[in-house]
Amino acid sequence: MLKPRKKRVSRLSESGIIWVDFRDTKLLVRYLNEQGKIVPRRTSGNTAQQQRQLAQAIKRARHLALLPFVSDIQR
Amino acid sequence: MQKLYCTIFIVDVSQNPEEVDTVTSRIVQLIEDHGGVIKRQNPWGKRRLAYPIRKKTSGYYVEIEFTAHSHLNIPKIIEQEYRLNDRVLRYLTYVVTPEELRQRELNAKQGKVTAAREVSRPAPARTSKPAEDAVQAPEAAPAASEPAPETTEPESSAPAPETTEAPQPAEAASSTETSNETPSVEPKPAETPEPGEETATTEAPATPAESIPETVKEEAASSPEETPEKTETTEEQS
Repeated sequence: MLKPRKKRVSRLSESGIIWVDFRDTKLLVRYLNEQGKIVPRRTSGNTAQQQRQLAQAIKRARHLALLPFVSDIQR
Repeated sequence: MQKLYCTIFIVDVSQNPEEVDTVTSRIVQLIEDHGGVIKRQNPWGKRRLAYPIRKKTSGYYVEIEFTAHSHLNIPKIIEQEYRLNDRVLRYLTYVVTPEELRQRELNAKQGKVTAAREVSRPAPARTSKPAEDAVQAPEAAPAASEPAPETTEPESSAPAPETTEAPQPAEAASSTETSNETPSVEPKPAETPEPGEETATTEAPATPAESIPETVKEEAASSPEETPEKTETTEEQS
């Protein structure tokens, strides 16, 4: 049996966000790990809909250089 | 069908700051010539890029919203222009969904909350800066020079009025990591912000952020080379 990861209650639904804005990098950064990868749903506790929105927003933000694609290089 | 579009582009201003106006007016003109109606123009100002694009570490972001009939194909036209114009580093054009509009309404309704949230954005970048420098080499280790490891957490040092995103202790490590990457919203005191707009809310009350541009620039100068080859591949997208 795998050790369960720390599952968290989704912050998105708590804060009443219905549309994730890709401009809000402060919010998006919470759903990235140290390397800049998108945190999986099993960890973040997002619903499928939220996760899709979030992924979309993060990808847009990355495209506009608001978020890094990779970020573990020398820090 | 009439649609609301939003287009954002990054202009390279390293050579000539006036480029912003020429590019913006060109795009606006293109939209209007082809039958679109400009709804909102919002220059975000000069910001540091999360990774270098064509060896540039900062760029001027401009956001334009317009409505147009979908058969006019305006996104195609302006994206053609973006591609031809080598001052434009990056662009993104998308159709604004009803969900986004509802979210904006919500934000406007609880304007106070979002304002506090937006204002808090520049602050952490500043407050976490000394900590960042201290931590820089040993990754994620709490800085010895800091009075307490919690001070590396930007939220804890942010001013009180913050309500929506209160403490978030689990990510102390990752937030210090990433705070390097999130350039705070550039204050643009000169412009006239539309009320209720999320990015615009930063402008008026963000007095502590006045000194950000210099720090951003300085940061940009010392920024690590980050995956230049990736930027090449993503250029073609959207």
